[in-house]
Amino acid sequence: MSHLLDRLNFFAKTEVGRFAGGHGVTTREDRRWEDGYRKRWQHDRVVRSTHGVNCTGSCSWKIYVKGGIVTWETQQTDYPRTRPDLPNHEPRGCSRGASYSWYLYSGNRIKYPLVRSRLLKAWRAARANLSPVAAWRSIVEDMETRASWVRMRGRGGFVRADWDELNEIIAAANAYTARKYGPDRVIGFSPIPAMSMISYAAGTRYLSLLGGVSMSFYDWYCDLPPSSPQTWGEQTDVPESADWYNSGFLLLWGSNVPQTRTPDAHFYTEARYRGAKSAVISPDYSEAAKFADIWLHPKQGTDAALAMAFGHVVLREFHLDRKTEYFDDYCKRYTDMPMLVRLVERDGRYVPDRLLRASDFPDALGQENNPDWKTVAFDTTTDRAVVPRGSVGFRWGETGKWNLEARAADGTEIDLRLSLTEDGRHDRAVPVSFPYFGNRKHDYFEGTDHPDVLLRNVPAKSVQLQDGDALVATVYDLFVANYGLDRGLGGEHLANSYDDEAPYTPAWAERITGVPRGHIVTVAREFARNAEKTRGKSMVILGAGLNHWYHMDMSYRGIINLLVMCGCVGQSGGGWSHYVGQEKLRPQTGWLPLAFALDWNRPPRQMNSTSFWYAHTDQWRYETLEVQDILSPTAPEGPWDGALIDYNVRAERMGWLPSAPQLSTNPLDIAEKAADAGMEPQDYVVEQLRSGALAMSCEDPDDPRNWPRNLFVWRSNLLGSSGKGHEYFLKHLLGATHGVQGKDLGATGQQKPEEVVWHDEAPEGKLDLLVTLDFRMSTTCVYSDIVLPTATWYEKNDLNTSDMHPFIHPLTGAVDPVWGCRSDWDIYKGIARKFAEVAPEVLGVEKDVVLVPILHDTPAEMAQATDVKDWKRGEAEPVPGRTMPQIVVVERDYPNLYKRFTALGPLMTSIGNGGKGIAWKTEREVEALRRLNGAVTEEGATKGLPRIETDIDAAEVVLMLAPETNGEVAVRAWESLGRTTGRDHAHLATSKEDEKIRFRDIVAQPRKIISSPIWSGLESEQVCYNAGYTNVHELIPWRTLSGRQQLYQDHLWMRAFGEALCVYRPPIDTKTIRPIIEARADERPQIVLNFITPHQKWGIHSTYTDNLLMLTLSRGGPIVWISETDAKRAGIEDNDWIEAYNTNGALTARAVVSQRVKEGMVLMYHAQEKIVNVPGSEITGQRGGIHNSVTRTTVKPTHMIGGYAHQSYGFNYYGTVGSNRDEFIIVRKMRNVEWLEDPESSTIVQSVGG
Amino acid sequence: MARTFKVLSVLLTYPDGEIQAAASAMREVVLAEDLVPKRVREPLLELVDQLGTRELYDLQERYVLLFDRTRSLSLHLFEHLHGESRDRGQAMVDLANLYEQHGLVVSASELHDYLPLFLEFLSTLPFEEARELLAQPLHIVSALGERLRRRESVYQWVFRGIEAVAEATPDSETLNEILEAPDDDPTDLEALDRVWEEEPVTFGPGTGGGCGRAQDMLRRMNTGNPPASAGSSRRG
Repeated sequence: MSHLLDRLNFFAKTEVGRFAGGHGVTTREDRRWEDGYRKRWQHDRVVRSTHGVNCTGSCSWKIYVKGGIVTWETQQTDYPRTRPDLPNHEPRGCSRGASYSWYLYSGNRIKYPLVRSRLLKAWRAARANLSPVAAWRSIVEDMETRASWVRMRGRGGFVRADWDELNEIIAAANAYTARKYGPDRVIGFSPIPAMSMISYAAGTRYLSLLGGVSMSFYDWYCDLPPSSPQTWGEQTDVPESADWYNSGFLLLWGSNVPQTRTPDAHFYTEARYRGAKSAVISPDYSEAAKFADIWLHPKQGTDAALAMAFGHVVLREFHLDRKTEYFDDYCKRYTDMPMLVRLVERDGRYVPDRLLRASDFPDALGQENNPDWKTVAFDTTTDRAVVPRGSVGFRWGETGKWNLEARAADGTEIDLRLSLTEDGRHDRAVPVSFPYFGNRKHDYFEGTDHPDVLLRNVPAKSVQLQDGDALVATVYDLFVANYGLDRGLGGEHLANSYDDEAPYTPAWAERITGVPRGHIVTVAREFARNAEKTRGKSMVILGAGLNHWYHMDMSYRGIINLLVMCGCVGQSGGGWSHYVGQEKLRPQTGWLPLAFALDWNRPPRQMNSTSFWYAHTDQWRYETLEVQDILSPTAPEGPWDGALIDYNVRAERMGWLPSAPQLSTNPLDIAEKAADAGMEPQDYVVEQLRSGALAMSCEDPDDPRNWPRNLFVWRSNLLGSSGKGHEYFLKHLLGATHGVQGKDLGATGQQKPEEVVWHDEAPEGKLDLLVTLDFRMSTTCVYSDIVLPTATWYEKNDLNTSDMHPFIHPLTGAVDPVWGCRSDWDIYKGIARKFAEVAPEVLGVEKDVVLVPILHDTPAEMAQATDVKDWKRGEAEPVPGRTMPQIVVVERDYPNLYKRFTALGPLMTSIGNGGKGIAWKTEREVEALRRLNGAVTEEGATKGLPRIETDIDAAEVVLMLAPETNGEVAVRAWESLGRTTGRDHAHLATSKEDEKIRFRDIVAQPRKIISSPIWSGLESEQVCYNAGYTNVHELIPWRTLSGRQQLYQDHLWMRAFGEALCVYRPPIDTKTIRPIIEARADERPQIVLNFITPHQKWGIHSTYTDNLLMLTLSRGGPIVWISETDAKRAGIEDNDWIEAYNTNGALTARAVVSQRVKEGMVLMYHAQEKIVNVPGSEITGQRGGIHNSVTRTTVKPTHMIGGYAHQSYGFNYYGTVGSNRDEFIIVRKMRNVEWLEDPESSTIVQSVGG
Repeated sequence: MARTFKVLSVLLTYPDGEIQAAASAMREVVLAEDLVPKRVREPLLELVDQLGTRELYDLQERYVLLFDRTRSLSLHLFEHLHGESRDRGQAMVDLANLYEQHGLVVSASELHDYLPLFLEFLSTLPFEEARELLAQPLHIVSALGERLRRRESVYQWVFRGIEAVAEATPDSETLNEILEAPDDDPTDLEALDRVWEEEPVTFGPGTGGGCGRAQDMLRRMNTGNPPASAGSSRRG
């Protein structure tokens, strides 16, 4: 029998034998192919790092190093697990992060320190015979020499130089500037410390020791929502992304989670699997829209109208027609809704005035401590006016009563009355005036023709006050009337039906926003129904799309109102999720002393950037928005005159906003002058300001004495990415070639500011020296005088945290910096060392007079309780810290600046540490640091203090001092807060008391932070981090006037500008189209579109957009998206080159014609780089600008309010914001695409090498 | 061992006082070794003279503009070969091995694919071996020379010099590929458009369709591996 048919002729089995009792198999496979893979995955080391860009990812990555070369990175998968029933965090990371190792060695990397050759030549010539400061003086005071490098900005001409020489130039310039004009003329701009906080701190530590100015960023980027401080007294606090999973209804509003929160998006998907409903609101069909159960697409910029209509529906169905027990109780206990507002009569009508205070009553309701700052409500049981605990007056000057217990000041239990209509307790219903702005004419926005003032009847009650009888109403009743709900009390423009067109019904909103009323009703109803059933698990995720408008507060407050009336804030799975650029700096209070040298000097100089750039880039000289354009028809009596910058100047001199520079006299000279006059410096400054002998710099920003002179930019592309009014920066601050198209107020003959000196000739080129630290040649570098190459995120040690997850993450040096690069820490250390060497030529130990604004979370925040008095106008006495800035004398030890930089100073032991109004001692931590980092052994000013030599030493300082990373400190901080609230909170951290997170720990694995009173959420086995959680569950008051969620804003300026309550305000008219559209018209069709700049997918702001691989994924070069309809009108086809312009400037881009874009708007992703693939503009005859070329920042008076509890200044907490979405542009097809130069080179004018 | 390689290396290094002072020594080496043919030698020596006589700031500005700031003139060879591809890291590791096999480690703070560094390495090798190694990145050298010629830069002659010494012809296909890609004539609008044109997507097997530019990039990445790679250890 042949086996032929059973046998293989052509194949053999791979298996040739078995061993180990059949458990092992020997095969004959050729496995040499595996070598390719083995070799590929062999490394010398794998290092944990992340990407310190301005994104909230903070994703853990493995960086692979072979032979000293970074070869690639992959996502880490070792995050600590979450609790059962909650998805894990990973995978975290996105395509942008995965392309970073390529960036490290990119041709775009800056390899060596660069300097303008003309500056270097002049310096060397001077330095040959002169000492450093004298050398700088000689070249900067010679106008021709100075111009030789100033005029070259943006035009190339760089040469390499060595670190030592450049450090000397910088140090000499800083020393000269401090001596000649004052240290507050040395400015530093760096954003978002959370992304690499040690690198940030390096620069600000140097500046703060010097007396220089650290600039804010969150407000300038317009990522700060002023509505958050207004409502909660908190900069921004939000849920971590894992908490989305706990939600039952997710409303995504102007946020594009899959695109801009890529590593977190999985929680959104998982929540959907769990059964959560989701509505997405976005004018364009965004990536997020496809996740929606329902997609609403309002006209861009009208979101407040939509939010008001939602609120209208919820109030009608869940508060008025049927009382919802949970909502009712929540509003009573956690909001200012029961608080009483005084109604003031004007022409037979009533206008809501300020909140009633205890001091308004004849006996101050028994309050001796701060009665001006205690709000009042009616108690239902006694039917009397009571002073509920928790208002700001209880926070300062007494202990144990600052809490949200349902008790009056004297401890009796109370039950507050929301509406005076309950049990018919009101005396009468009176007509109250509510301002209406939806009728203001706008060329491109639909309005209605309702009157300026809507009269609606509100239940009121008469009370006996110190100054006689007065009518009062509750915030709740005003709030409901404002929403236009008919309660049978009478009044005009009130609605009984959703189909009535009274403001703010769904029918009215349909007309304004274009969203069908049925959709509005459905979303509002479902949102509230879910919140009712789940006790607040409805969440709104919102983003830049709403916050970048001039009237952003209205959209935001409309949404906050919706959340609050549904009891969602402070509840797991619910609340307000504003994810724009804040990147929570979790170990904040550990970091502040390091960053602002609080261990050596207090206070530091900090400045709000928006007002600073507005003044110093002279954007105010071109202001088109007048106060009358935005003033409320119900504004209280007052002049309400002047220009926007006048309000800023008033705010500065009343101590509301900071100033930089501060005084037109050098602050190093003032103490001596005071001594000569036989006065204390404080008294001297007050006296001289009053007499006018001393002036504040803000009153004349164009006077050379008040110019910013030296500017450091690091970790930022200020000119390429965030510089709203780019062309004005170029013109006035830098003195470079610019594309400003419009004329200033002088040339147009318009009304000029009252408080500010007008110079007919505006300065061009205020800066003596611009120094930029970066790892790539950015637009800012191109315009800089000195460019210092920094280490990338794989070449340095640093810390990184995010608001999106609770882990603290390291950046770790996988390899040493290549070429001539250094870490930011080492760069500033080098400058500090050189400065200490150079400074004694002109500086010794000096007395520096520092002006400090009235700060939030300090007792000073109770400055002017009931009115606004300006000392300069003679309305009040100038009293530092009350009617004007605080004045503090700080001693600067310039020769020891380097020693101070590298050691932890004595104030941590003698004063201690703290944050957000909570203070604690830190001796034990200082001692621990002395042992961990070692003590300084060198003789001199710092002997025996803990060392801060390396970036890791610096990281340990942060980790040791912060309650979030040191359990012992957390317990101490909670105990300290407990003394103020009279409640025990320490239980929240005692289980972690022994935990101390060190740098090496987080290198081993990201660590979860410890719950601390600095934040309003908890991180525990029971809940995910959610903002407001401890307010609701621990009864810790919000840091507002009433101590509750503040929905009624009663400051005089809020009332004057019509924003006491939330209203719809259409976008402002920036008037940048009409002056130019006719003049530049030709035969080509032109269309006018709203200019929207969202975040993009292929880059993080401008980082990565010059990465060719990333550009490949998109179209390459700048693109704008326009709708099919608009494209047709302008004769534009997909991929055509277009030019966009207005009076601010011009830009060029390719058109992407798409159905996903809404008619009337053009969408340009934020921050595409000027240095790649940009052809010349026909309008300016120069390189087409960046997205900020067509913008100009416009400030808002309500953001300048200060000295008023929650509305008090804090760095990056409150202040003017740089909005830019109200801008319109003229779009037309380009005739000629003219590359002004080689497209891949970054110079503006390229000379051909010869 | 040929000191001409060392001269070429120095000529592509950032000009400083020491290099200026060495101008006449460089001239002597070039003349003495006579490896660079006459048609190239003359203009090459012109560059040497410029380095010796012109103002240093101007020389440095020119260098920074050309080689530090112009990406398509980067002196890092793999920039042109691998761009931002992941292969770059491994290729660099391979190159490091090659140096190590010859008993050298990189002491400067530079990447292994830096052309002046590579030329210096060649100057330590027996001439024939050096010449053989030089043939590998020749298409890049050639492309850079071509781009500099278009800019009418005197630096083109260093690259012509390298080509001449190598006595080899660069692989024309890869050369063309490099020349095609980034450094288009900026005034040639059609060429410009071509680079950014998105080819229509054709679905189905075997069409090789997809996003045009990404495909190009991927193709270049995939072919960027050893046979064409400069100084890979395979032939070292």
